[in-house]
Amino acid sequence: MFQISKKLIAAGLAGAFLLTACGGGGEPQPTSFPGLMIDGNNGYLASGSQVYKFDVTTNAEAWRFPAQAVNTLNFAGQPLKFGDVVIVGGATSPSGGAYDNHLYAINQQTGAEVWRFAAGKDGNPGKEFADGVVTDGKLLYAANGDHTLYVLDPSNLDGGQPKTVWTFTAQNKLWSRPLVADGVVYQGSLDHNMYALDAATGKELWRYTEAAAPIVSQPSISNGTLFFGSFDNLFFALDAKTGKLKWKTPVDGWVYSSSLVENNVVYFGDAKGRFYALNAADGSVKWTFQTQGAIHAKPVLSGTTIYVVSGDTIVYGLDANQATDYKAAKKNEGIGRRLFSTPALVGNTLLVVPLDGAVKVQAVNVDTQNLANKFAFPQATPGK
Amino acid sequence: MGDIFDLVVVNPFTNALLVLYGVLGSYVLAVIVLTVIIKVSTLPLTIQQQVSSMKMAAMQPKMKEIQDKYKNEPQKLQEEMRKLGYNPLSGCLLMFIQLPIFIGLYQAITRTLGVTPFNLLDLGKHVYSFIPNLSSLVPINSNFLGMDLGQPDKLFIIPILVVATTWFSNKLMTPPATDAQTKQTNQMMQMMMPLMFGFFMLSAPAGLGIYWLVSNLIQVAQYYIMKPRLESARAQYGLPSLNAKSGDSASKAVIDVERPAPPKSRARGSNTARFNTAKPDEKKDK
Repeated sequence: MFQISKKLIAAGLAGAFLLTACGGGGEPQPTSFPGLMIDGNNGYLASGSQVYKFDVTTNAEAWRFPAQAVNTLNFAGQPLKFGDVVIVGGATSPSGGAYDNHLYAINQQTGAEVWRFAAGKDGNPGKEFADGVVTDGKLLYAANGDHTLYVLDPSNLDGGQPKTVWTFTAQNKLWSRPLVADGVVYQGSLDHNMYALDAATGKELWRYTEAAAPIVSQPSISNGTLFFGSFDNLFFALDAKTGKLKWKTPVDGWVYSSSLVENNVVYFGDAKGRFYALNAADGSVKWTFQTQGAIHAKPVLSGTTIYVVSGDTIVYGLDANQATDYKAAKKNEGIGRRLFSTPALVGNTLLVVPLDGAVKVQAVNVDTQNLANKFAFPQATPGK
Repeated sequence: MGDIFDLVVVNPFTNALLVLYGVLGSYVLAVIVLTVIIKVSTLPLTIQQQVSSMKMAAMQPKMKEIQDKYKNEPQKLQEEMRKLGYNPLSGCLLMFIQLPIFIGLYQAITRTLGVTPFNLLDLGKHVYSFIPNLSSLVPINSNFLGMDLGQPDKLFIIPILVVATTWFSNKLMTPPATDAQTKQTNQMMQMMMPLMFGFFMLSAPAGLGIYWLVSNLIQVAQYYIMKPRLESARAQYGLPSLNAKSGDSASKAVIDVERPAPPKSRARGSNTARFNTAKPDEKKDK
């Protein structure tokens, strides 16, 4: 009797541990980062197994794509509005075991699929579009986990999917959106390189190879200088035309967040939770602020306040002109879920996107730092 | 709680894997070497568990006696069992150590392989900055014999090998049953555990399967190295030989019921007692 109990207890414990600790305790493990895009009163959200359109003032839902959630689907990255469609990328499946190698174009009025593009090259299926797509107004630039940047012409559908104009293949995964500026595509890669490509032809103009670790954030550009961080705890500024190093500044942790450049100041955070304001001219540190979670999201600036969200679940409002390091900051009490996606400011409301959980978008009143409880998307269904 | 687990278990494994990968240049080799280190470190516990199982098995006849005698007096039964040195969790110690190791390693493997963007961000939080150049090792080359170690094995080779080696290892490590009921439980466990791990491996990264596979093989090797000593210790406790078939041991249980269990003091004695060649009864007489 006692022997049986002991062994069954052990087996039960083993099973419970495996299924909960390894499997995520019943909730699917997040694999990628949801993305939010605001267009007027409309919000478009790629999160989990569906894409949503909602009204940012009333949080009323307009549509979901697909209408019924499909467990194997997972959408990630910021949606892109392109004419009448919204384009979103498929990401790694919730179990991490499969990829959705498609880009989806969804009718922004109806939520119906208009076309889809399947990544893949030389007979091999592509992988995930981890960070969405960008456009120069004509072409779409979509970085894929199969090491390839796909440049597509959505005005030229071929067999139901946009024609590929050119591709560029790096030596490792492309997990960040490129930046397209002045006819040049800037693309970072997990192969430790930053590439500059001719936007029309895909011809490599230069590559920066001095970063000793992956580059997994969309670069920023200002006054002819390209800014990006790397996993070797360095933040770089290059001459955007030549790729020559202007300066590099050591930071505490891996830089996964895209940077914001405003008023000659570069703002970004690192994976150790420190937020930085650097002088764009020479990389000197103006001030820093420590949060308790990894920073992945690009900050948002409004007036003299810069809004930072962190893996510690808190929304911070920092004085962008602060002269010294912060000791305390305006912050809300935390929304209870990790925040890794770039928020959007609508009036005095900051829309933040939790990594997981039932609430997909949470509104935070930036004047009071309180959760604007009247706004949580999706709306709670009565009786649930 | 999660932070403490990260600090104590997951972070050391994560950074050890990265360091070994940097030194050996192969992720599979890094997993194998780390597994060997873990198995060697937990060897004293493995021995302790074996001894504990033997002690418990040796106590079975006496336990039965007490259970029958005090079946209507639960408190007295509990007291007598305690006096006997019965500890229902003593054999589970290794499991309690192994499971956090397994879970920690699972998390370390998924982190280091950076299978998903989220894993990679998570890795950034846990890499020791005082060890130089660890970040330059990322991303890990996860290809091994055409298999992506960060993904489940689509050919099911690893899950099948995990099931087979877990079954074989469990079969070796489970001592012959001393009664029919224990025999039945053992058989159930020997089937359940491998299938459970195999099922889990269907969706787990193949790299974790490599750990479990190597871990099982080392356990088998440890068994054969320790076998002569285990045999001697089993003889000391009056237990059937490891070579005895289950049927033999079940029938032997009848004889064992008559045999007195080792004295309490010895049952609670230090682990070194297990390798004494003199039988407990002989010692008792001295």
